Amino acid sequence: MTPDTSGTAPANRPAAAAVPGGDRVPVPGLVPDGASDGGELVPRFPSGVPLPVGALLAELEREPCDGPLTVGDERITAFLSAVGRRLLSPAVARAHPELGSLGFFLRRAEIARAVDRLRGEHLRVPRGLVFHIPPANVDTVFVYSWALSALAGNRNVVRLSRRAGGAAPAVLEALESGLSGAHPAVAQTQRIVSYERSDAVTARLSAACDLRIIWGGDRAVTDIRRHPLAPHARDLTFPDRSSLAVVSTAAWLDAPERVRQAAAEAFAADVYWFDQAACSSPRTVFWIGEAEATARARDDFAARLAATAARRWPVDAAMAVQKRVGAYGAAADGTVRALAFHGNALTLLDLADPADPPRHWLGTGTLGHARLGSLAELAGVVRRGDQTLSAFGFDRAELEGLARTLAGRGIDRIVPFGQALTFHPVWDGVDLLHECTRLVTISG
Amino acid sequence: MSVFTLGAREREARLLPELTALTERHRRRCPPYRRILDALGSAPPYGSLADLPWLPVRLFKTHELKSIPDEEVFRVLASSGTTGQRPSLVHLDREAAAAQARMLAATLRTVLGERRLPMLIADSRSVVRDPRLSARGAGVLGMMNFGRDHTFVLDEHGVPDPGAVSAFLARHGREPYLVFGFTFMVWIYLYEVAREHRLDLSRGILVHSGGWKRLADRAVDPAEFRRRLAADTGLCRVHDFYGMVEQIGTVFLEGPDGGGLYCPDFADVVIRDPETWREAPVGTPGVIEVISTLPSSYPGHVLLTEDLGVVHGVDDGAWPGKRFSVLGRLPRAEARGCSDTFTRQDAA
Repeated sequence: MTPDTSGTAPANRPAAAAVPGGDRVPVPGLVPDGASDGGELVPRFPSGVPLPVGALLAELEREPCDGPLTVGDERITAFLSAVGRRLLSPAVARAHPELGSLGFFLRRAEIARAVDRLRGEHLRVPRGLVFHIPPANVDTVFVYSWALSALAGNRNVVRLSRRAGGAAPAVLEALESGLSGAHPAVAQTQRIVSYERSDAVTARLSAACDLRIIWGGDRAVTDIRRHPLAPHARDLTFPDRSSLAVVSTAAWLDAPERVRQAAAEAFAADVYWFDQAACSSPRTVFWIGEAEATARARDDFAARLAATAARRWPVDAAMAVQKRVGAYGAAADGTVRALAFHGNALTLLDLADPADPPRHWLGTGTLGHARLGSLAELAGVVRRGDQTLSAFGFDRAELEGLARTLAGRGIDRIVPFGQALTFHPVWDGVDLLHECTRLVTISG
Repeated sequence: MSVFTLGAREREARLLPELTALTERHRRRCPPYRRILDALGSAPPYGSLADLPWLPVRLFKTHELKSIPDEEVFRVLASSGTTGQRPSLVHLDREAAAAQARMLAATLRTVLGERRLPMLIADSRSVVRDPRLSARGAGVLGMMNFGRDHTFVLDEHGVPDPGAVSAFLARHGREPYLVFGFTFMVWIYLYEVAREHRLDLSRGILVHSGGWKRLADRAVDPAEFRRRLAADTGLCRVHDFYGMVEQIGTVFLEGPDGGGLYCPDFADVVIRDPETWREAPVGTPGVIEVISTLPSSYPGHVLLTEDLGVVHGVDDGAWPGKRFSVLGRLPRAEARGCSDTFTRQDAA
């Protein structure tokens, strides 16, 4: 049993500089060595001294200053938009351009729009306590699911990897500085913590929460699910997914040079951000059209993509070797008929069977290619684990037709080139803000 | 009879037809290898050794590649690999197993001579006794075939045993003897112990391997290693070697003058530019490709390693052929992405 120190812990944890003793002042983004041994949590936001899980839960159970949070609560909204402004500041944008889209996501107008979408016949209320387990190495995804859950009026505990790198420290800094003008209820109800691998802590948080959100891989999901939830609580899981792209050969060949170049550049961003290892990163391009025309379209596309990648996302020698291992391996397995290397930046795999595209990561800048006669044929290729379809050259009716044919057998998002990695509050077929709330029906 | 006799031109002329034939043999007998060559569009004639299709060495960790039927597999060798990685698996039939042992012996005979020498090992006997034999243990065990009266510098607990070394030198110190160990073990234990106890290792022939990474932290490079061993222990006959389980039996051996590693007559290296993958000019570092006629039972005859190296010169050193150095390892490519990161990268 974890000792309960709630009697002595301040309800509103002080900011770092106010920690008594003063000599070990945690800096946002840095975890003091050995600080979380013995099942303790290291608060990363608001930063603070290590505390036992029981103490954290006790603090979260207290009534927030000025009353419980509500859906679209102004105290949270004001804080989120302040954080968004910080993320859009020139200094942050220079160091971490990828935080720009997060900054836009947190703008007041965006937030208001998201809350507006919740309006309906019934009353929306928060779920309660939400426990977030984001992936260790996509450094910003935790912010999206946490921000939406906070906006829904929930109390949140986010488990952040101790090794979270990249932009995560910058995000924590923005959160921390956003706190200075924020209502005390924010610090009281919103917590980001790190802890050493501890089943006891995960079990305790799982048992206490009303909703558990698990990101990051089939094994991670299965592993976390060993810890039971309360009977009324539920999981929202984001397991392994993979993604595809589809291009209309005719549309490509008909498009002006400027459009094709812009599309190739947008697609390069989809592929090369996150080293093509995100669930939404396209791994295979399906061409819809005649063989001869497709060969021409594909050559034009590949040349533009390779040139853009070589300029903006050069692939180093180690990754180039990894790509050879991946591509040669796919050839050895017989799933790939021909390999083409456009420098180190782009490797094209000519698929032996369009219905068997590579769904695992083969190295940054490795794209399967296959041709199909019609968009409808793509339905035979798609599986449950396919998430995002990046599309070029189809109108909305055609894409809707495909989605209807698929009838939920796969593909949760269809996006234009350049938006594969853009987070949307509806993710993996789930409206996060909806999931983070409950409905109260009032009749009569 | 030395296996370091062929100049670059002769070597190319002799090895190219052999390796072209070997490529075709593996193409016929190893379907996954054939599919790779087909996907690459690789077909003879090959104009030079550098034109032969290569496999990335890590493919032996991800795929089973062999050119013999299951019933002819005589031995399967596994590399240790780092924690969490699958080992490379190398399948040998009787013939390949015999050839690798024979050619390794022939290579080492160049510096050790015909007779089996007394052997001092800069390690502990416990590394060869551990039932879960480490790469270091396997390396030591393999080399023990080339010596007799094996004496370990470290006791069973890994503590230096100067008494054992002194007793060995008292028995054998006036005749040539073999000294073997991993490079950093030789430095940290044998060199330190010998210097401290003023032991005379001047009749020893040191054969060592394992790389310089751990010594680089101590600012010891190959030249410094040789200089201080000679100055402080009298050990002047020093031969580094480079080899890997995926090309078992082939070792690239440092020449007597320390001017670099040389290729035995049945092997060669190509340094590749990591941007163009074409052969890099002499003096320009790149990724090391190793070529050997020994892998007859698996398609490991032309392998792109994950090591960086440089050719210093051709036909200009103590032995003929290319003279090269290993400069270090390519870093391992890591991806970000959102899949299964807890199991792969992070326990917390």
